[in-house]
Amino acid sequence: MELSAKNKWILVIFSAAAGFVNGFLGGGGGVIVVALLLAVAKLNQKYAQATALLIILPLTIVSAVVYLARGAVDWIPTLWVTLGVVVGGIVGAVALSKLKSNVLKIIFAVVLIAGGIKMFF
Amino acid sequence: MQIFLFVLFGFLAGIIGGMGMGGGTLLVPLLSFLDMEQKTIQATNLISFIPMCCIALSVHAHNKLVKTDNVWWIIIPAVLSAVGGAFTAGITDNKILRYCFAAFLIAVGIWQLVIAVRFEVKRHRDKNLPVPVRPMLPAAVSDGDGKD
Repeated sequence: MELSAKNKWILVIFSAAAGFVNGFLGGGGGVIVVALLLAVAKLNQKYAQATALLIILPLTIVSAVVYLARGAVDWIPTLWVTLGVVVGGIVGAVALSKLKSNVLKIIFAVVLIAGGIKMFF
Repeated sequence: MQIFLFVLFGFLAGIIGGMGMGGGTLLVPLLSFLDMEQKTIQATNLISFIPMCCIALSVHAHNKLVKTDNVWWIIIPAVLSAVGGAFTAGITDNKILRYCFAAFLIAVGIWQLVIAVRFEVKRHRDKNLPVPVRPMLPAAVSDGDGKD
């Protein structure tokens, strides 16, 4: 799809914001990138979520290198968490086709809000 | 016990991440229950995401779900500012980072909730509408470009 000059600028500005958020908060840029791909690149939900991974991967690698260089990595928890994330990720990818429920998204959104409130205290 | 919690929290976040719903946004608040600094939590989140992302990406690429048109307009500015963001995090106090993440979570949660509830209301409304009588036409064939 050929983008207009205006849409290219929108992509550049908001993707810079997504990158900054991902580097500063150590995650969360994917939510902004998916929204950009849906609204500006006009991809449908399934393609936007898959393509967002291609965009988020290099951001995550460069951010991780900076955190590593600054000595913020504790390898023991990182390795155990990574083991859980990889196994859970495979389960989640398989479950996606069977559990594609909007109710699940509502529950997840409520969990995020509750998690955010908890982090303030 | 703590190792069990690391694996469990990673597993739960991995399920959400594998579904493409943002596992990192769940992993960070879960790890904040443990005695870890915010920067260490964020570094753990970033590094643990890399192998899962590689696996998921190869599956999606195999299923031809990854579209590469215009992605450089997103990747280049995002990578440059990610470096800036990561350096800024390095000089920011852990407590401020934690509050920023909390505010981000609440904002994303409200945003996702509004979208999901709107979708549910629309679906409920459409379900209650009478089914229109349509002429018998051949079904449209998708060109498979991933666009709506």
